[in-house]
Amino acid sequence: MGRSFDTIRFRAEACDACGQCVIACARAKTGTDDTSRARLQILGGGTEGAELALCRQCTDPQCAAVCPSASLAKDPDSGVVTWEAETCVDCLLCTVGCAYGGIASDPVAGHVAKCDLCDGAPECVAACDRGALEHVTASRLYNTQHEREDLFAPGLSACHGCNSELLIRHTMRHIGRETVVAAPPGCIPGMGVVGYNGQTGCKVPVFHPLLTNTAAMLAGLKTQYARAGRDVTMVALAGDGGTVDVGFQSLSGAAARNDPMLFICVDNEGYMNTGMQASGSTSYGSWTSTTPVGEHMQGKSGDAKSLPMLMMMHNGAYVATASTAFLEDYHEKLEKAYATAQHGFAYLHVYAPCPTGWRFPAALTTEVCRRQVETNFVTLWEYTRDGGLRFTRPVEGRRPIGDYVEMIGKYRHLDQTHLDVIQHQVDERVAFLRRFAAPAGG
Amino acid sequence: MPDTDYLIVGSSHAALEAVTAIRMHDHSGSVTLVTRDRHPPYSPTILPYVVSGRAKPERVPLRDSGWFAAQGATFVREDALVGLDPDAFTARLESGAMWRYGKLLLATGARPVVPDIAGLETVPRHVLRTLDDAVALREAIGAARRAVVLGAGLVGMHAAENLVTAGLDVTIVERGAHPLPLYFGATAAAMIGQAFAARGARLLCGRTVASAQGGGDGAVALALDDGETLATDLLVVAAGVVPETGYLAGTDIGLGAAGGILVDAHMRTTRPGIWAAGDVTEGPAFGGGVAVSGILPSAVDQGRIAGMDMAGDRVPPYDGAIPLNTYAAFGRHAVSVGDALAEGDDLDVHEDGDPETGRYRRLVLRDGRLVGATVIGEAIDGGILRQLILRRTDLTPVKDAFLAAPRDTARVLMSRLWR
Amino acid sequence: MTHVATNAPRVIVCDGNQAAAWGVALAKPDVVAVYPITPQSSLVEYVSQFIADGTLTATLMNVEGEHSVLSALQGAMLGGARTYTATSGPGLAFMFEPYMRTPGLRLPMVMSLVTRDGITPQCVWGGQQDAMTVRDVGWIQIYCETVQEVLDTTLMAFRIAEHRDVMLPVNVCHDGNYLSYGVSRLEIPDARQAEAFVGPTDVNWHTALDPARPMAVDPLTGGAGGPGPALFVRYRKSLCAGMEAALRVIKEVHADFADRFGRHHPALVEAYRLDDADRALVTIGSMTGAAKDAVDEARAAGTRVGLLKIKTVRPFPVAAVADALSGVEAIGVIDRAVSFGWNTGPMHQEVLAALARGGRVVPSLGFIGGLAGADITAEHVARAIFDVGRLRDGQAPAGPVWLNETD
Ligand SMILES: Cc1cc2nc3c(=O)[nH]c(=O)nc-3n(C[C@H](O)[C@H](O)[C@H](O)COP(=O)(O)OP(=O)(O)OC[C@H]3O[C@@H](n4cnc5c(N)ncnc54)[C@H](O)[C@@H]3O)c2cc1C
Repeated sequence: MGRSFDTIRFRAEACDACGQCVIACARAKTGTDDTSRARLQILGGGTEGAELALCRQCTDPQCAAVCPSASLAKDPDSGVVTWEAETCVDCLLCTVGCAYGGIASDPVAGHVAKCDLCDGAPECVAACDRGALEHVTASRLYNTQHEREDLFAPGLSACHGCNSELLIRHTMRHIGRETVVAAPPGCIPGMGVVGYNGQTGCKVPVFHPLLTNTAAMLAGLKTQYARAGRDVTMVALAGDGGTVDVGFQSLSGAAARNDPMLFICVDNEGYMNTGMQASGSTSYGSWTSTTPVGEHMQGKSGDAKSLPMLMMMHNGAYVATASTAFLEDYHEKLEKAYATAQHGFAYLHVYAPCPTGWRFPAALTTEVCRRQVETNFVTLWEYTRDGGLRFTRPVEGRRPIGDYVEMIGKYRHLDQTHLDVIQHQVDERVAFLRRFAAPAGG
Repeated sequence: MPDTDYLIVGSSHAALEAVTAIRMHDHSGSVTLVTRDRHPPYSPTILPYVVSGRAKPERVPLRDSGWFAAQGATFVREDALVGLDPDAFTARLESGAMWRYGKLLLATGARPVVPDIAGLETVPRHVLRTLDDAVALREAIGAARRAVVLGAGLVGMHAAENLVTAGLDVTIVERGAHPLPLYFGATAAAMIGQAFAARGARLLCGRTVASAQGGGDGAVALALDDGETLATDLLVVAAGVVPETGYLAGTDIGLGAAGGILVDAHMRTTRPGIWAAGDVTEGPAFGGGVAVSGILPSAVDQGRIAGMDMAGDRVPPYDGAIPLNTYAAFGRHAVSVGDALAEGDDLDVHEDGDPETGRYRRLVLRDGRLVGATVIGEAIDGGILRQLILRRTDLTPVKDAFLAAPRDTARVLMSRLWR
Repeated sequence: MTHVATNAPRVIVCDGNQAAAWGVALAKPDVVAVYPITPQSSLVEYVSQFIADGTLTATLMNVEGEHSVLSALQGAMLGGARTYTATSGPGLAFMFEPYMRTPGLRLPMVMSLVTRDGITPQCVWGGQQDAMTVRDVGWIQIYCETVQEVLDTTLMAFRIAEHRDVMLPVNVCHDGNYLSYGVSRLEIPDARQAEAFVGPTDVNWHTALDPARPMAVDPLTGGAGGPGPALFVRYRKSLCAGMEAALRVIKEVHADFADRFGRHHPALVEAYRLDDADRALVTIGSMTGAAKDAVDEARAAGTRVGLLKIKTVRPFPVAAVADALSGVEAIGVIDRAVSFGWNTGPMHQEVLAALARGGRVVPSLGFIGGLAGADITAEHVARAIFDVGRLRDGQAPAGPVWLNETD
């Protein structure tokens, strides 16, 4: 129960049907270039876009359910739907069970053949340089997370589609109980993390600092634990107001002193908990309730302040940006940040597009997060003192900013001139960051 | 009196699938499987391969004892259900044991029909429904030179192929005009018949057996309706199956015209607390009406629906059975899906075949939607065609492409649909 | 452990800031956070040096502003630390946000307020405008008169704050300039005796941020229509009860201090030559010394004047004030701060309120002096005594009287 497995993700929009994956599969599985024998097939292409026939490694595989010889089974460890040659009688019932064209007869071999994920390193994915095939290993994350304790109360009341709950549950499952959580006023305590009326929302010690003093309170608390010789991790789950705006002084002080803590900024670009007012993190052009749109105003007129860059300039021991659309990347960074927070200052800046305040459908949050990254509106990187800045996801080949902006209601009033400004800002920011990036191979 | 929350009768596809479905929803209720067979669960579909020797009897189990333990299910073998009291929620077994159940699933499948032919009851003969049948037939082949197969259905043809391959003189007697009349039309059937003929088998279609008489040494003499007499060392009766429902005697559980247990779209019988699934049922057919489906994929679907419904899980009603058959004759694959034989003015039928290459296709559309297909000697994804039929996918925009390349076009359609 | 004992000379000559630092050293806080501000700076310098020397084994946090000073100490206290800091004037204003919160969290912190006048006009000099402005926030406020009292009160403040019936933060106030820099003889108590007097640290038994006893500290209290307001009232009332208990505890601690160290300091108020007085002056803080001289002089001249020094401003010793002034027919109150809007000094208002609680209305006159570091001399006080005399005779001068107006 409850295990999750690797899969291969197909992004049709990135596929130009070049066929490299099919050749790679044929070679790996048949030792020939006969693509008709490959276990994945790319179909179509052209204007309609490419399509895929490939085993989905179903959780409840129909091919196996209808197999009279018990030759197909879901491997409980790898999740691969395995096929056993020795017992297979070549009756083809599996091919009428499968709705994906994921198992088919290999005419040369004289039996059915299907994808086995190449023992966890799929050749097709390796061969795809278009980014159309992706080996999704997030299941590993799910499985490890699943085994860990959820440290928040069930039923936190975040808005529909908000990724903060996902983020904080992941974070605290990872970090565990020897922790103190600071949640300054904002959406995170607003959804009940600190609790209401004397009741707690969290299984670890949790508190409301002021909007202004999160880092300082944690610094003091950590000081006392250091004196007492106890290893307790300080974690801040703060919004952008408590980080970028009024929270900045104490944050800056803590970063400069290298106070041991893990400060996580959950950036939804404004004071969304109190009615969507603008913050220093609100991006250019955004509609908010204090940067409205009217005859004399077209949303926010200035650019956002980049806290992760500022934290890097503080020479924070570990600084990184992250997106919930790239959770494995986040967990890798969280791991490092957590380790750093035992002895120094670690800062994670995580983007939290707000369906309520930014006006996009709640179901699209993860897609918005992904699009932020794909357009370089958000870049994923980490900074360490000896390693410098390193992009953890390539910034080359970005999509045009319009692909992101068009998804978000708060930008609806923008015209091409505005878009050009944003595109310029995005490219400039990337160019700026590149200067801090360690040279290739470094 | 032993009791159990769920009593499942049968140990084949429908029964096993039901157990899995019950356990998805109910982790604690007691589950008991009772089967007449003495072997661990296996599929009747595997039996022709046991006969041919391709499948070893010890390798055919669908589940092992570890599976039952993991499911927390009790497995009772070699005891048959012989009577029911639906008011008292009790089931009587051949051993005399009485079980009280909370919910009952009848998944007892079907048994071979012995046609009403004079003398047939008394002569040595083989059928193919159980593992023991298959092993017995396999042993008999070794001692025989001549064989007669009664019935050119899937079971008969499969048995016949095994006998041909084993080197016997084989005669197939089929009442219909051509072999596999339920699955293939005349053209396709002719191609299949051709393959048998080429290997020396005699296919006597449109003929019936009038009487049977036993000779010495297990030999049998069969008199055909036209007066011809066939002498054989080995007689295989494959004249179809009927639902296995003997234990219902004395109950008012509803049976259909074909003798199957009537079930609704949730596999409920006419009595509360009793479900039925698989070959034993007469239930909704896709496109309307009721039918005895008699195929493995239907048994799986129905077993799952029954299990879910029994456990109180939310289950969408059954779409109805769709015929789905795969058949291979001497290495050549044939797939038939849906209403592949349909004829009619409202249909758009595309048939083409080439006996030389052995390729054949019959695609049946109505209002631009696929209703059935037969494909021989060419790669096709039966499962995708089945989805196109089930979903009544409009093929009008891609009709030409579909007719030209059904497999790839269907794959594109499904891939798009899944995204 | 014995650094203080070995390092501390028994008697030294020093200013009030250093005296406060000695009080801190003897109280042995775990965490001290500092940010400098005139006229407090030398105090935190002394404490820092003590830590550097090992005289005090606390952890020193140099943070980037008073706001963070107080915040860091709140965090440390929730982890179980005894803490200390000091500030003044604008520093206090800057830390106001966490300052306002400390009593509600019931964190028994001790903070010296080296009092400073408010800006603007820009000014770095003494005056009690800062402390007086925040007197209703929920901190205990005790005002010192002498350098010795600064040390002794600082030490006592930890015990008062941490008393289980009190559990409130304490501001030990000493006047900027006059006490911060004024030098006099100081007797430093024995370190071991001081340690025994203050007692073991136990500051987060009621609320803690500790994985060993997980809890939510300060969850949101809901508004009308739920249990929130009633819960809120419970918190407020318990804070009031802590303040009330402090009136008793402050006296007990002062008495115990006198027993152990042989120095008697008034706990809530000090009555000076009030027994047969028909008029009285009310003073606060370091001005009291000069005022007592002026009272002595007036007495020598036959005027039946007495003096009441208010030492504890929060909790306000209503009964003690009313009782001490029960025999006088006119009073003058010298404030070192302004209560804007009442057009007088804050202590003046509060003394009248204390008397009114007992149903007494006494002719009174407000004096405001010592603003922006100005001296309040015996001459200033003599004038006040004269004015109160006129008041008693029915010739009511208009108040307030700004004592340094013509200096
Ligand atoms: C030779 C052969 C080849 C086949 N080939 C195909 C094929 O290629 N494709 C296809 O789709 N289908 C094929 N089938 C049909 C397919 O096997 C059945 O549709 C399927 O097995 C039905 O499953 P079921 O669970 O309903 O019943 P069954 O598989 O018939 O199982 C019935 C179970 O009930 C038990 N049982 C019966 N009566 C009692 C009783 N009174 N008490 C206790 N237990 C009892 C039996 O022991 C058995 O375990 C073939 C069948 C045969 C015989």
